[in-house]
Amino acid sequence: MQIGKIHSWKKVIAQIILLALPTVMLACYLLWNANRFYNILQNQWILQGSYFAAGILLATVFYSFRFRFFTTTLVLGLLYYGVYKLLGSFSVGEFDAFFVSVQFMLFAVLFTVGWITGFGFSRSRYYTIFWSVFLLAVQIVIISKTSDYKAANMIGAFAPVLAYAFYIIFTAELIRNMNEDETSFGWFITKRLLGFGVVVLALLLAVLSIFQTDFKAIEKEWGNAEGKYDPNKGSGGESMTKTNKDGSVSNNDQTKLTSSLHKGKRLVFVAKLDNFFEGGTAPNPLYFTAYYYTKFDTLTQAFEIDSLMPDNDLFRPNPSKIPLYFAKKDSAVIKNTHATIARKVVNAEVYKVLLSPDEFIAPSTAFFCQPIPVPNEYKDQYKSAYRAKMWVSDLNSAYFIYNPAGNESLEQFQEQRFQALRSVTSYTGVDKKLLDYYTYMPSNTDYDSLRQLAKRITANAVTPIDKMIAIRDYFLSKDEFDQPLFKYSDNPGIPGIPSASKLNYFLFENRKGYCAYFAGATLFMLRALGIPSRVAAGFLTIDRSSKNPGWYWFYEDQAHAWVQVFFPGYGWIDFDTTVPDVNTQQAPQPDETPPLNMQDAYFVADGTVTSIDTITKKLQLKVSKLLFHDKDYETANPEQTMLDVSLATVSKDTGVVTLGTIKKGMHITTASYAEILKNITASEQDSLSDVIKKLHQPIPVDQIKIIDPENEKLQKKKEAAANETPTDWLQLMWILLGTIAACTAVAFLLPWCIWLYYDAKARNATEVKAQAFNRYTAAMFYLHVLGYSRQGKGPVEFAVAIDQQFNTSFVAFNNVYQQLKYSTVPLTAKQAGVIEGFYTPFIQSVKTKVPLKTRATAFLNIYNTISYFAQSKK
Amino acid sequence: MEQEIQLEHALANIQKLVDNIETVIRGKRTQIQFILTALLAKGHILMEDNPGTGKTVMAKTLAQSIAGSHNQSSVNFKRIQFTPDLLPMDLIGSHIFDDIKKEFIFKKGPLFCNVLLADEINRASPKVQSALLECMAETQITMGDITYQLENLFFTIATQNPIEMEGTYPLPAAQLDRFFIKIIFGYVDEATELDIYKDYLGIQNNLQHIQQVLSMDEILFLQQETEKVYIHEELITAVRNIIWGTRKHADIVLGASTRSGITFLKCLKAFALVNGRSFVTEDDIKAITLAVLDHRLIYRNKEAKQKALAGILDTELLRLSKLNIAK
Repeated sequence: MQIGKIHSWKKVIAQIILLALPTVMLACYLLWNANRFYNILQNQWILQGSYFAAGILLATVFYSFRFRFFTTTLVLGLLYYGVYKLLGSFSVGEFDAFFVSVQFMLFAVLFTVGWITGFGFSRSRYYTIFWSVFLLAVQIVIISKTSDYKAANMIGAFAPVLAYAFYIIFTAELIRNMNEDETSFGWFITKRLLGFGVVVLALLLAVLSIFQTDFKAIEKEWGNAEGKYDPNKGSGGESMTKTNKDGSVSNNDQTKLTSSLHKGKRLVFVAKLDNFFEGGTAPNPLYFTAYYYTKFDTLTQAFEIDSLMPDNDLFRPNPSKIPLYFAKKDSAVIKNTHATIARKVVNAEVYKVLLSPDEFIAPSTAFFCQPIPVPNEYKDQYKSAYRAKMWVSDLNSAYFIYNPAGNESLEQFQEQRFQALRSVTSYTGVDKKLLDYYTYMPSNTDYDSLRQLAKRITANAVTPIDKMIAIRDYFLSKDEFDQPLFKYSDNPGIPGIPSASKLNYFLFENRKGYCAYFAGATLFMLRALGIPSRVAAGFLTIDRSSKNPGWYWFYEDQAHAWVQVFFPGYGWIDFDTTVPDVNTQQAPQPDETPPLNMQDAYFVADGTVTSIDTITKKLQLKVSKLLFHDKDYETANPEQTMLDVSLATVSKDTGVVTLGTIKKGMHITTASYAEILKNITASEQDSLSDVIKKLHQPIPVDQIKIIDPENEKLQKKKEAAANETPTDWLQLMWILLGTIAACTAVAFLLPWCIWLYYDAKARNATEVKAQAFNRYTAAMFYLHVLGYSRQGKGPVEFAVAIDQQFNTSFVAFNNVYQQLKYSTVPLTAKQAGVIEGFYTPFIQSVKTKVPLKTRATAFLNIYNTISYFAQSKK
Repeated sequence: MEQEIQLEHALANIQKLVDNIETVIRGKRTQIQFILTALLAKGHILMEDNPGTGKTVMAKTLAQSIAGSHNQSSVNFKRIQFTPDLLPMDLIGSHIFDDIKKEFIFKKGPLFCNVLLADEINRASPKVQSALLECMAETQITMGDITYQLENLFFTIATQNPIEMEGTYPLPAAQLDRFFIKIIFGYVDEATELDIYKDYLGIQNNLQHIQQVLSMDEILFLQQETEKVYIHEELITAVRNIIWGTRKHADIVLGASTRSGITFLKCLKAFALVNGRSFVTEDDIKAITLAVLDHRLIYRNKEAKQKALAGILDTELLRLSKLNIAK
């Protein structure tokens, strides 16, 4: 029996190449996507893609014959059933029945979808529309599984589907209307494929280039601004620190609640902290604070810095900008702590290893920063250092919330401090603005359950500190199986619905998380109870060394977030509610020798280099600032001073450099430890020049620090860039409008320019053939633009019409021109004269017959010109 | 091979012929040009129109304008009115038994002439139409085993009524292909028509006293001269493109043959000469493409008949008009 064909083979081939193959590719992409989120698929997207491909290809070929859909599909269904039964009877014993049946089900579903699609492409005109919508829906379902809302990911997810949708609808229609008798069939397909490829590419590029800034902004909004260059983010998780472009490390300026946390193991900085328990021998470690997160963005579920927080007590100088030994201090910070009871000033020295030179980190509440040189023998290890002073509460300690675990003195210490804080019973009298700000909570209903939990677990506590302890105890409590209720985990996972509150998920379902979860949950419970609190980010301090009391080593995995609670009079006190990580107990990092032996600098001068002699090792410095025996001197008229640099070590923020690096005009700071300066004294009343006069020049210096002009420039650039970030939409609009106007003007003037070009060519040609051709072309173009189209007429035929209209000699010209073009007969002198004398009078008489207004509008109409160049094909 | 064309002489002769015909046929300059084109290209012409538009008079005038080679006053002009019951032997002639010589002698039919007017050709049966084929193509007639050569000048002017009229057979493609040119004869314009009415007596008088302005040899000479008309390579390419265009065009079921391409070239040369030129131009192509090719093509539908060939022609004309001769 001969089965009739519906489509020719050519059409089937076109359907396979233009419809089925792109569909298979997209299906593979979607399956690959789906495999990332659905366990049942078992990561075999290639196999699954081939099921689909088999279905669609078979159906495309099958339904190009005259088969009915329903009967054949019924047969297919029966076939499935039969095979399924067969598998059932075979897959006992060594076969895993479940595994096989799942595999078969997957095969059946994918093959059927492919089969139906093949049928649709072959027979139904509107199937592609339905199919595109279906695919989009599938993609939306798949995407909803992800929580990675980066603009690039979104584009990556939807762009292929959208591009495919347009493509398939367009192409299916094209194939429907395909002329199967087309002689160059291969070319027909190649042309359209290439054309479509170019269009899609151009569209994507255009979208990417036009909206790149927008995408960045969207990304930022979605809370992953640093995602671009952080190698730690390779795993897709969040990190408490960020790696800057130069490889240094800083605390993140926001902390997001995400599915996993990345931790590094590198040494970030070393610090010496002069904080000891009473008695002076047992060191009292303090957490090192970088930022306070006072705001929570419910949309991105991230804690953020708020530069507008009331009574700002965050001291954030940039140590690399402060000249060596010159201090920057901000006493307003002390006032803003509102802490008067049990506070003292504590000194700290921070030696940076990976920590960014710009970064300032110190226990709270720092108010003083003084860059100091790194001793020579440690220059390879430490990049830079600074000294910090803090207004530290006696009640603050890294031990404050640690489980003392039987250590009696610590237990005693904790209890003492709790006792002290119990004196705070309420927040009456606290500045209302401060109180409102630090007890603010989102009014979202998501937080109701959190509120209730806070009320429940603190039901028995009266004072704020007892409530705080109750919350801590809740996190440390055991469940009914005597297992810890909360576990520490760097990979807590995320709730199934991306928009769900991660805190609720953490508190009530998952009960696993890293520091930001514990800190965040604590913060909101405290705020729910009306206790002002905030999240602090920085580094937790671990006292590891018995050799060097007061010295602490900070590694990347010590980056941390915790809670600070405000107690009137006592100020902000650190509380850390994060439970210990039982699974991966941190192996103690080997502590190294601290950079000891700091000398006192008697003389520190800051100024500009006017000359340097690297042979005699003499340096002329215009001193504008001076620190002599810790006394500050400054002048508006910099003093020329000769320095002896033979013993000096030269350094930059990035490390030690040679003397040759110093160039005239550089901004440097020099320091001297020379004993001869020790006994020279200067009084407060002395001016800078007075002090320098007392000294014997050249003054020997030991330290030279170059304030890197490049770095400054970079900084300025960065600042400038930051300032530019808010796009001036108005300006952009003007530029856009201007560009559009310019383009329009060019488009409108184009015909005129082309005419000028032709006209010039026509007038300037000398050789008779070129003259004839150019004049003919110019005349034809001119007439065409003015609306006198040759359209279907022979040259002379057209010329007759023109001559009638304009009373010109176009016919005579054309006769000669045709002879010149198609004949071997040479022109007579008279004929040459016709060509010579034709052009100017012709244009002139056309101009006089056609009013200027008509000519102008004709030239402004770009379509006239386009049709002149595009009239050939229709 | 490039012999100098005797343009002045040729043009003078053509002008004489045209002027002579115009004493009788008025307002038909274009049609006269086409008829002369077919004549000079050694082809035949098919004219289509309703009865009474002057087709017969035209043919007669042409024939009588040419002086015969022998003692005849003019060339041998025959007119056959085609009817459905016409038989081939009515055209070719037949063997008749001669009582005296006791043998069959061949009695030549009307086909043995110089100018043949085949009136209403499409009313005869296909059998009769095909009888015309040989003599039109090869100027010879074969009867049994004897082939009779026609005279050097054999020119057929056929007329046909519009196909849609009752009692017509469409001409077979092969037959149509023999007609170099097919024109619509058409009515004259209003002013000329008035002139004709005013002067019909004069015209009738002219018709009875048509002068023989050219000898048959001179016509043959003109035909020779036509071959010498120069045709530029680009125009030959253009002809090729048009012929190919008809074959590739989606709305044309049957395109033009190679023979029609050659016919096209011949006609172009003849038309250029008739228009007083020793070389072919774009206008010639524009003027005769439809007349030469249209009746050879089979279109998909009526709409295509209106547009397809014009489209191909226009594309080609555009290409030609933009040719840079300075290069």
